[in-house]
Amino acid sequence: MTVSSTRTDSLSADEPAFLRRMGRMLLADKFALVAAVFLVVMVVLAIVGPAWLGEEALKQNLRGRNLAPFDWSRDWFWWFGADALGRPLLARIIVATQNTLLVAAGAVLISAVIGTFLGLLAGFSSPRVSQAIMRLADVIMSFPSLLIAVIVLYLLGSSILNLMLVLSITRIPVYLRTTRAEVLEIRERMFVQAARVMGASSRRILFRHILPIVFPTLTTLATLDFAYVMLAESALSFLGIGIQPPDITWGLMISQGRQYLTNAWWLSFWPGLAIIFTTLSLNLLSNWLRIALDPTQRWRLEMRGETRG
Amino acid sequence: MLTFIRKRSVASLFSLVGLIVMVFFLSRMTGDPASLFLPVEASAEMKQQFRELHGLNDPMLVQFGRYVGDVLTGDLGESYRKARPALDVVLEAFVWTLWLAVTTMSLVTCAAIVVGSLAAFRAGGFFDRAASMLSLIGASVPDFWLAIVAIVIFSINLAVLPTSGTGSLAHWVLPIAVLFVRPFGIIVQVVRGSMITALSSAYVKTARAKGVRSGPIIFIHALRNAMLPVITVIGDQAASLLNGAVVVETIFGFPGVGKLMIDSILQRDFNVVLAAILVTALAIFFMNLLIDLAYALLDPRIRH
Amino acid sequence: MTRSLISGALMVGAALLSSLSPALAGSGPIKIVLPEEADLLEPCMATRSNIGRIIMENVSETLTELDVRGKQGVMPRLAEKWEQNSDGSWRFHLRKGVKFSDGSAFGAKDVKHSIDRVMSDKVTCESKRYFGGMTVNAAVVDDNTIDIKVNPVQPILPLLMSLVTIVPESTPMQFVREPIGTGPYKLTNWTPGQYIVLENRADYWGKQPSVTKATYLFRADPSVRAAMVQTGEADLSPSISQMDATNPKTDFSYLDSETVYLRIDQNIPPLNDVRVRKALNLAIDRKAFLGTLVPEGAVLATALVPPTTLGWNPDVKQFPFDPEAAKKLLAEAKAAGAPVDTPITIIARSANFPNVTEIMEAIQAQLQDVGFNIELKFVEVAEHETYYSKPFKEGRGPQLVAAMHDNSKGDPSFSMFFKYASKGTQSGFSDPKVDDLIQRASAAVGEERAKLWSQLIAYLHDDVVADVLLFHMVGYARVSERLDFKPTIATNSMLQLSEIGIK
Repeated sequence: MTVSSTRTDSLSADEPAFLRRMGRMLLADKFALVAAVFLVVMVVLAIVGPAWLGEEALKQNLRGRNLAPFDWSRDWFWWFGADALGRPLLARIIVATQNTLLVAAGAVLISAVIGTFLGLLAGFSSPRVSQAIMRLADVIMSFPSLLIAVIVLYLLGSSILNLMLVLSITRIPVYLRTTRAEVLEIRERMFVQAARVMGASSRRILFRHILPIVFPTLTTLATLDFAYVMLAESALSFLGIGIQPPDITWGLMISQGRQYLTNAWWLSFWPGLAIIFTTLSLNLLSNWLRIALDPTQRWRLEMRGETRG
Repeated sequence: MLTFIRKRSVASLFSLVGLIVMVFFLSRMTGDPASLFLPVEASAEMKQQFRELHGLNDPMLVQFGRYVGDVLTGDLGESYRKARPALDVVLEAFVWTLWLAVTTMSLVTCAAIVVGSLAAFRAGGFFDRAASMLSLIGASVPDFWLAIVAIVIFSINLAVLPTSGTGSLAHWVLPIAVLFVRPFGIIVQVVRGSMITALSSAYVKTARAKGVRSGPIIFIHALRNAMLPVITVIGDQAASLLNGAVVVETIFGFPGVGKLMIDSILQRDFNVVLAAILVTALAIFFMNLLIDLAYALLDPRIRH
Repeated sequence: MTRSLISGALMVGAALLSSLSPALAGSGPIKIVLPEEADLLEPCMATRSNIGRIIMENVSETLTELDVRGKQGVMPRLAEKWEQNSDGSWRFHLRKGVKFSDGSAFGAKDVKHSIDRVMSDKVTCESKRYFGGMTVNAAVVDDNTIDIKVNPVQPILPLLMSLVTIVPESTPMQFVREPIGTGPYKLTNWTPGQYIVLENRADYWGKQPSVTKATYLFRADPSVRAAMVQTGEADLSPSISQMDATNPKTDFSYLDSETVYLRIDQNIPPLNDVRVRKALNLAIDRKAFLGTLVPEGAVLATALVPPTTLGWNPDVKQFPFDPEAAKKLLAEAKAAGAPVDTPITIIARSANFPNVTEIMEAIQAQLQDVGFNIELKFVEVAEHETYYSKPFKEGRGPQLVAAMHDNSKGDPSFSMFFKYASKGTQSGFSDPKVDDLIQRASAAVGEERAKLWSQLIAYLHDDVVADVLLFHMVGYARVSERLDFKPTIATNSMLQLSEIGIK
């Protein structure tokens, strides 16, 4: 009880101090620091990429197709080699960052928010409502996700927004079920019972006491889903219904490079690496966040930060 | 328990009906099977004749009524493409999918619980970092990439496994190995996360305070508690396997239900699409039932 | 699962047996890996390539056969000879002593039944499409003679009969899953999703082929197909990807009768202006594609039909790559009031042929270089069909539909009406001279026929500028070194096992 109330106080009471504290904790974890820097770079690239390198990424040169990587004598955006139309891969990866992150973040956000909300609702409301919500989850879960994606994209056409929606629908049940399971477990715990006895409103209990505890599991899930969505989008491209050229995403780049896998590995390797690094960074950061936000674990980071500086 | 199962069945029946109605109408709105069954040069009369033969000229509601009538008598219709009962086509493929899903998920579950728990025991340690990195990389590698690389290495260069197809146990190795990677990566992460929470939770501390020093006892206590979110994720992963592993089936020529569904919607073979959804939805319903039972067993507080 | 394991064990057992028994020199079983499974093995659907590759002339035979290896034209198969009667109908004299694989004897009544079945409205047979707008009546003269009367009179009926597979009279008027035919092989095992097995027939009327048994396997991924021949899991893959065709000992390229082109919809400005259509053609650097995105051996197209077709015109010259001329034409058109700045949409089908995405992106870039405003849209097969075939949508913008057309049948009549006549379902324009030429050529025979087709091909290419013709594509086959086989232009739609030798 005391534990959770001190936390909420520290979150809201003194903003600058909180940020400084977080910053110090981030410096203490080198992995998380690198991950954070990487993600910031990615976000920046996503914002400026298309305007900055849009032209280079589209310029074709059939005679320089499948150019091998590591040719340091050329401009830097050729260092990763060129694709089947002789377009520089590095420039294309940078330009594709925007669409990729937009689709992935959009889909994860939509599914996580809706799923968590419904999960909290299911965990907290009457059995009847709870049952209705859980059955809804069952229906969505028994959707063959790719099939539904194909049908919906046939009907609506393949755009970034539609892709986001299609990819998010199928992920809702995971958040929903996880949240509900945790809520059911937590609400029986001592401090929740105590808060209830002390007259705290349901909403207060939900947002002040339960959500913070469910949060770490949800971030882990969301991080993993980020990778899942990027790959699912690539699988849609594999089936020919994902993002359509000349728009690009990392997923589309991987699936376009598939047929060159044995002769020009770099076509699908670099965008694949971009997906792996992004997921890895997100995960490292979420692990760090889990510790940094947990008052019983936080000392590990703070100790390290202090001894070093 | 029986009332619980009965209630669930009734509720699920409603969801299943909703699903079928939705797919019935949506899929019919995506295109005309006649122009896919026949080549572009076929005359309008031929296409008309095809639609006539398969009752596709009637208003959609009439078609739906007829479909419902047939389903109630146990007839799921015929595949236009294959000229045989849609249910036969689907069941044939589903058997393969079921085996693939069951084998893969059993292996994944065992491996992920062991690795995830070990990682959680010494969170932040070397094993934890290594296991996290590897499982995450596994979860972010595109499966078709992995499949083709695996074929190049194990079938062509080392020549120890067949490239693709079915027939012997060796044929199962590569598809299972490729399918293993992603759910393993995800479940390891979830096991690890919820084990860390469980190990730091009040009653484990209480147990420690009371002097329970033995690792295994603490471990089992914590695991039991950590299993709830883990089971959810296992269920989710199993469901997506039961819906077919399209990419793996395509590359390895594995006759499962995933590729069947995608091929059937591409060709607008509606009866097969619907039958496939029906069969996989039923399978997933039973799996969900098992998951709920597992919940109840693991946590006596969640008895419905 | 158990069943498949058992059948798997049986297969292994059978393989062991056959390898133990001293194999006759130059004969034995083979395995063929195809990209797409046959969903039906219905004889009257054998003109569809995924079905025809397995049963055409292997299980189900036809009265005549087109020679795709030499220049003999239409050759006898189940018919020994034929002649045209005075009323325009054709008389076919059938081979004697031929038996179906179910033991029944082959005769004129079976031919009549087969034709009636194709034309029937109780089943939707694909081969019926070659008889569009015709009424066909078969009359049995005696056991081994049949008269086929077609209205309007068909000068190429013997060629058309190479597309009608013969089934026994007992075949029902609905799709069958176990084809009965007169061919050198019979279907002995079909496990859907896994394999199809054909085995040779001791009582075949012709020469015994050296392949005794063929097992067909299906893999969608081209690199897996190539790998299977390399590892010995299969002996022949008629289609692998250009990227994988690296071993000159096993990998062969062949002209596969597919022609890639952009269909121009002339009904919508600015595409109604011939200068604009010429500019489209001049702006594309076709040669730059060869050996890069399109296989080295592909042929630049000057007609929708491949060079092996009757009446193909060697005098028609491909448009050169001349961006300056294209710009000039475009400027002229603009000066004359054509709305050349209107965005033109290229509609292409995803996964239609290898590299389709890259090829279309490159074409888009080349057209934009001379000043066109080009949008690119990829759609799946069913939607593509709604753009490609009539009725076209009202209120559409100017469109170029990228499509691939297959004519390995040796005569342009299978293409020209559909693609260019005013009433053709995929025709983007209407021109009385074209209609007249098509009508006359279809009715003509011999030299006259060839001359008229040649004339039409030149007129379409040079004067109408009907479309942007791109390439006659080539396919790659991987053939195990133990086989003696060269793919032909027909390999896409028909793979005669009797043409495969074993070394």
